[in-house]
Amino acid sequence: MPEKFDLKIKLGSLSLKNPVMPASGTFDIRDTILNKSQLNRLGAVVTKSISLEKRTGNPGPRIWETECGMLNAVGIPSKGWEEFQEKELPLLKEANDTIIVSMVGRTEEDFCHLAGKLDEIDAISALEINLSCPNLNDGLHFGINKKIMAELIYHIKQNTQKTVIAKLSPNVSDITEMAQAAEQAGADIITIANTLVGMAIDIEQQKPRLGNKVGGLSGPAIRPIVVRMVWETSKVVKIPIIGVGGITCTEDALEILLAGASAVQIGAANFSNPLIMLDIINGIGDYLARKKCSSLRDIIGVV
Amino acid sequence: MTMTSKRNTPIFTNGIVAEHVLLKNGYYKTVFIAPQVAQTAKPGQFVMLSKWNIKELFLKRPFSFYEIEPETGRFSLLYKKVGKGTAVLSESKPGEQVELIGPLGNGFILPEKVKNIAVVARGIGVAPLLPLIRKVKSENRGIYSFLSASSKELLFANELVEAVSLNTYYTTDDGSKGLPGNVTMFLEDLLREDPEAIDVVYTCGSKRLARHIGELQQRYHFQAYISLEERMGCGIGACKGCVVETSHGYQRVCKEGPVFRLEEVVLNA
Repeated sequence: MPEKFDLKIKLGSLSLKNPVMPASGTFDIRDTILNKSQLNRLGAVVTKSISLEKRTGNPGPRIWETECGMLNAVGIPSKGWEEFQEKELPLLKEANDTIIVSMVGRTEEDFCHLAGKLDEIDAISALEINLSCPNLNDGLHFGINKKIMAELIYHIKQNTQKTVIAKLSPNVSDITEMAQAAEQAGADIITIANTLVGMAIDIEQQKPRLGNKVGGLSGPAIRPIVVRMVWETSKVVKIPIIGVGGITCTEDALEILLAGASAVQIGAANFSNPLIMLDIINGIGDYLARKKCSSLRDIIGVV
Repeated sequence: MTMTSKRNTPIFTNGIVAEHVLLKNGYYKTVFIAPQVAQTAKPGQFVMLSKWNIKELFLKRPFSFYEIEPETGRFSLLYKKVGKGTAVLSESKPGEQVELIGPLGNGFILPEKVKNIAVVARGIGVAPLLPLIRKVKSENRGIYSFLSASSKELLFANELVEAVSLNTYYTTDDGSKGLPGNVTMFLEDLLREDPEAIDVVYTCGSKRLARHIGELQQRYHFQAYISLEERMGCGIGACKGCVVETSHGYQRVCKEGPVFRLEEVVLNA
């Protein structure tokens, strides 16, 4: 189905037919109820984070619904690089022209090795670095230490020609500093942001609700934080921003675009409504028409 | 060999509340009209349902099918009001709309050669087993039913179950129906008399009963399946949120389950 409005957007060297794509971890090409033509309408497909080796993920419970959102401590289970290449990649190629592979590692070497392997696959358009993963060396997330993060991005860039997207952690005191560090290290695009670390407690059992005790908060509850982070960051970096966090409808997506993001990712809202990304693509087109804009560029970062 | 039932394609659709009944204090049955779901649903499968806006409650809730009526395009759910989702659902009125994703998951496997099955359920755990025993009955195979609850009031569907069973055994914690104790003792008696009386045991609703069945399985070598529940994000396998520990690692209740071979599930106390 042709879009009513041209929603094409370029994020540096990455061209998208529209600015709407799934957030990593909330979409799996092997577990989607979208059909071929629906998958093809997405701006891109984004994989769950893949790792070199198999990762089992965390013990349950892995999710807990909160007011206006959810906590998750899934723990990035991954069947590993080989299974990705054999089973997932062929399906991704059929689904969409723009494939963004999210990657995760326990060490800088893991990331670089994986980036090198992914670099050889033509069908992949970009690599998104999941920085919200514990670093084997100090147990802290790569994304909360500016120096470690920047070195990681710099070294990944040495191992790939592909567009590199740094998915920043919001669990920092100043997101703009992290964004600038990512930009200086060579990131082509930044995604703002991963989940916020949170916790819920069962007061009867007097135990954490999640098997991993703490988890990542997503959903509408965090959207105002993301809007602010995108807005602040867009003033200080030149590279494009992908905004993600709590988008559940067209209005939410527009808010993030107006704040300065060039594209959006839809995360946990996919769980409740598997067609929401398609609704939002249509909705953005309708908004551009209503505002008499000829291009998506006319609304990005105007606030 | 792993046997899996052939998966039907889940759809995202609307349903209409046809009937809503308060069965017992806090327990409800709601009937929905959703022909595309009802026509393909299989015993043991489930549906993700919301009767709220995403900004009121964020996630859909999973419910196993209780009654499946392909010819009328209806299915029903049996549930206890336990949280925010079931609280909203418990106030359903005929004509109201719900959003559905389903049918989902792998249903119960019913091997062809099976002559007699047993179902072991505690309380509302009988819900996913009812479509199974109706199917087994329609194929002229035998059913032994073992129902347990804390009290007589918390036995559900027992008349429906009795109507299609060769025999129905009861235990209640307070002795208000049948004997006190574990209902699996009747299963053990039956097997002791005739170790071939039962080919497959299906269970839902109590990990304690499931462990007893597991112990009996060691001795009498029947096949056994358990229907599990877990908090779910998406119901379709994407979020990897609803895992259970099994002999071959974490498995998703929504995708590899909700029915598992009993012996592969790690049943912690």
